[in-house]
Amino acid sequence: MAIAFRIEDLIAGYEKSIIFEGLNAVIPEGKITTIIGPNGCGKSTLLKTIGRILKKERGEIYLLEQNMQNLSTKEIAKKMAILSQSPSAPSQLKVEELISYGRYPHRKNVNRLTKKDIEMIEWAMDVTKTTEYRNRELAQLSGGQRQRVWLAMALAQETDILLLDEPTTYLDMAHQIEVLNIVQELNELHGCTIVMVLHDINHAARYSHELIAMRQGEIIEHGSADEVITKEVLQNVFHINAKILHDEETNKPVCFTYDILKNEVSAL
Amino acid sequence: MARRSFHLFVWSSVSLGLLILAASYLHITNGVFDMSVIDVAKTLLRINSNKEFDLVIFEFRLPRIVIAVLVGVGLGIAGVVLQGITRNGLADPGILGINAGAGAAVVIFMFFFQVRLIDSDMSSWLLIMMMPIFGFIGGTIAAALIFAFALRHGHLDMQRLILTGISINSGFGALSMYLSLKMNEKDFESAAVWMAGTIYNANWIFVIAMLPWLLILGFYIYKKAYLLDYFQLDEVNMTSLGIHVEKEKITLLLASVGLVSACVSVSGSIGFIGLMAPHIARQLVGIQHKYVMPISALIGAGLLILSDFIARTIFAPGELAVGIVVSIIGIPYFMYLLVKVKD
Repeated sequence: MAIAFRIEDLIAGYEKSIIFEGLNAVIPEGKITTIIGPNGCGKSTLLKTIGRILKKERGEIYLLEQNMQNLSTKEIAKKMAILSQSPSAPSQLKVEELISYGRYPHRKNVNRLTKKDIEMIEWAMDVTKTTEYRNRELAQLSGGQRQRVWLAMALAQETDILLLDEPTTYLDMAHQIEVLNIVQELNELHGCTIVMVLHDINHAARYSHELIAMRQGEIIEHGSADEVITKEVLQNVFHINAKILHDEETNKPVCFTYDILKNEVSAL
Repeated sequence: MARRSFHLFVWSSVSLGLLILAASYLHITNGVFDMSVIDVAKTLLRINSNKEFDLVIFEFRLPRIVIAVLVGVGLGIAGVVLQGITRNGLADPGILGINAGAGAAVVIFMFFFQVRLIDSDMSSWLLIMMMPIFGFIGGTIAAALIFAFALRHGHLDMQRLILTGISINSGFGALSMYLSLKMNEKDFESAAVWMAGTIYNANWIFVIAMLPWLLILGFYIYKKAYLLDYFQLDEVNMTSLGIHVEKEKITLLLASVGLVSACVSVSGSIGFIGLMAPHIARQLVGIQHKYVMPISALIGAGLLILSDFIARTIFAPGELAVGIVVSIIGIPYFMYLLVKVKD
């Protein structure tokens, strides 16, 4: 199977605080891989480091088997797009204009869109169902609509790999599923490789082919939902006592309910 | 949508062009020595020229208008760049201390080379040509200091930026003041007037000294104007799109420091133009920088010609420094922006 990211002995962090040391992982191409873990476990840091938003201290990251160090940032931009947790843009900006920004790495003449540019923008709006408010300003959109517009901008970048940092935060339940359904469609119909960070382990289990569970800068478990969403792993990773059921419909494990571990309570 | 912005852009350009013409007309015909339009036209077209008119127009008023246009354009463009790359609508070369840095360097230059701006003649043209270079060094030092103090965890902290600007402003201001107090009387007067921001000693040498800076850097920045649209996004988005954020930030900053320094070395520190012009431009043509930038340049030019006209005529035959007139207009506008930004 082709490999999207190969991470070798990665050391990274902010300023002087090292978040993880000697991290190794292989993320497959054409699959949805979700990183889960408690706050501060380094899941966002890992996503930002492989997305070259954060500079790594040491180690190697291979993007489609090419060392990222040897690729220019513009070449990388044609292979992967990153959507941050809370992206910002001027509120007067029109939806279609924002999405057209996604074409930047492909544009030669910055003042005119080519036919291909327009096709990709239309496609991105179509997939994310944002075509109907293409002429609205960002300020006029709801949270869910805005998130889909941002996703459309990332899609307009025409990359095979998408990195999404908590794409469902601040959204209500229906809008969360709406976004995740688009992500799934992108993977199934268009063969996109998705690497994302999610907080909700049930969403992670339902939508991902592979899960990476992290705690304190270490990967505790990396595998299918059935391998990762288990009582033992959740106990290790989240320090919770979880009740796991099996959802017949999705054929995926579901964390039905949970409690804080007994010895954790006394430690608090 | 795109067509609508373009229409707004064309209309704004035409009206501002007319405004600049009207202001220039007022400027060139009014003053201690009043002239009629016909006199001005005749002199410019070299019909029945007379020495007095030639002197007033070619030596006094015309270079002054040209300098006002150049400085206004420079500050208008620099303001757009600084507000864009810092993502702060209150950024301005004056507030950030770049004016003060360039100013201090020019005062040092005046101090050691005894360049008197008031009675500059052709013999000192080489020194005058060098002033923008000195200004550039001073402005760059100020910009480097601002970045060194305001940069935290690799991004510019906006509150620190403004605070650093204030302290750099007063630091360099004090340095300029100290040096000018050490000068002899005549140099001091020249330096003090210059520091307040003035173009009344404008002459063609100044025009030649700053024109290359304005042309080269102005075109360079205009070619990069589209990047400022992307600076309206956050840095994760920019990096994701394959933009070298830090590299672009630094080159744009240096280019605008160069522009500001060229302006400061001929006109002294004129604040607020770089703050006001981009705001008015955005209100006229929206947020696309390929439109905002030229409009801001035109507004800068118009504001400065009008202010200079007021400075020259309001207490005639005495003169106010144009920097003071600009401040009188600018301070209320700045306060209005502060209130508006808060909402």
